[in-house]
Amino acid sequence: MNWWIAPLLLALLTGALCPISGALLIVQGRVMQANLIAHAVLPGLALAVAFGLPPSVGGSLSGLLGALVAERLLVPGQNTANHSAVMNTVLAGFMGLGVLLIPLLGVRVDLEATLFGDLLLTRQVELLQVGGSLLLQGLFFAACYQPLVFLGVDPMGAAASGLPLRALKLAMAGITAFVIVSSMATVGVVLVIGLMCAPALVGLAGATSLRQAVLRASATGMALSVGGFLLALLLNLPPGPLIGVLCVGLVVVQRG
Amino acid sequence: MPPAVPGLRACGLSYQYGGQRVLHRIAFRLRPGSLTALVGPNGAGKSTLLHLLQGQLQPSTGVVELGGAPVRRCRRRIALMPQKGEIDWHFPITVAEFAGLGRLAAARPGCCDVDGALQQVGLEAMAGKRLDQLSGGQQQRALLARTLVQPAEVLLLDEPCAAIDPPSRQLLLGLMRQLSDAGLTLLVSSHDWGPALSAYDRVLVLDQSLRADGTPDQVRQALDDVTMGNHRCG
Repeated sequence: MNWWIAPLLLALLTGALCPISGALLIVQGRVMQANLIAHAVLPGLALAVAFGLPPSVGGSLSGLLGALVAERLLVPGQNTANHSAVMNTVLAGFMGLGVLLIPLLGVRVDLEATLFGDLLLTRQVELLQVGGSLLLQGLFFAACYQPLVFLGVDPMGAAASGLPLRALKLAMAGITAFVIVSSMATVGVVLVIGLMCAPALVGLAGATSLRQAVLRASATGMALSVGGFLLALLLNLPPGPLIGVLCVGLVVVQRG
Repeated sequence: MPPAVPGLRACGLSYQYGGQRVLHRIAFRLRPGSLTALVGPNGAGKSTLLHLLQGQLQPSTGVVELGGAPVRRCRRRIALMPQKGEIDWHFPITVAEFAGLGRLAAARPGCCDVDGALQQVGLEAMAGKRLDQLSGGQQQRALLARTLVQPAEVLLLDEPCAAIDPPSRQLLLGLMRQLSDAGLTLLVSSHDWGPALSAYDRVLVLDQSLRADGTPDQVRQALDDVTMGNHRCG
């Protein structure tokens, strides 16, 4: 197999995967939570490597824990700025803990690749992980479509209708954590939020259903991710940061 | 065993939040097929009362019953139409899909007629439009359609006439009258103390406790007396 096929496939799958999560997070007003999860995967990753466990499991659990800690610290009724302040503090704390744990545990973690991705190091395990994550995300979306729509358009009405919203939100946070960990090889935990949000913003504009928005976002994400990878090869630049820059460019063009 | 009392009954309802009294000893009964306005200033507790009546909130004291049964056992027979501000009107969804969400609140999923509800509120031609393509009055009617999809016998409408133009308000009031004539019980919260009150059978005036209860004319007279009294006292 040619050396570029695996990274290209990974770019394609990650480009399809991230915007699905992104579209759901935007309509639920939970983008900040996703960013927190992305930064909170680091301690779990370091611990998993130290104890010989799969890094994706450690990272996902740690990201989910970060989201739960932040949610526990939020005071209902306080304004959005207050909530953002709490979430950013937890984000920084978990990130700091991760950076401290790497030398303390004496583990070998390529911090640069973790933060910004490195498509050229793609292995089969990353492809399988992103594929599994895409399948899981798709199944969740199909099975919980109507409750997700209700929760997005009218959160109080959804609560009044007796839907199991706590379980739904927890599942969403868990899947988001897994999506982020799975996308690490492509764009890294710092840049993943761009690939989640930019194509989703394009997909959501003018869409008449969440399903349509997600399909459009996913197609845009694939084009962006693959385009970024090919451009990176052409210009001899790191693909992750280049995809991040293309995400901003896409939003500028869309809003311009 | 005593016979079941028809309609919705609130008895001695009080509600406290964070140590503050929001509602105090509210008691009334709504007979089936009646159209009642719930008026009061901002912060009077109108929305809280509607949420208590629907069983979303638990009262600190008192009970709510529908047909003699505690409301927690028959929540799905009471539909609550939320305030317009609680909806994300830019969500990617058509009017038909939005109305269909009322099915999720129904006891039997798939039981309900979305097309019929849209026709009832006069939005059948807008079924395929996005919510944010509707005018303010049409958005209120879309919300009402979603509420009607739920096969309930009591409708609690939270400020359905807020921030809409007078023709749309008349249209909505006409719709509410049709629904009550069809046997549904409606309780409609409103800021409107003006001539629109005459559209209702009965008016409840709320300001933490019930201040007046009667026909629109009786309530107007009672409120005028209070106002005149205040003037005389300086």
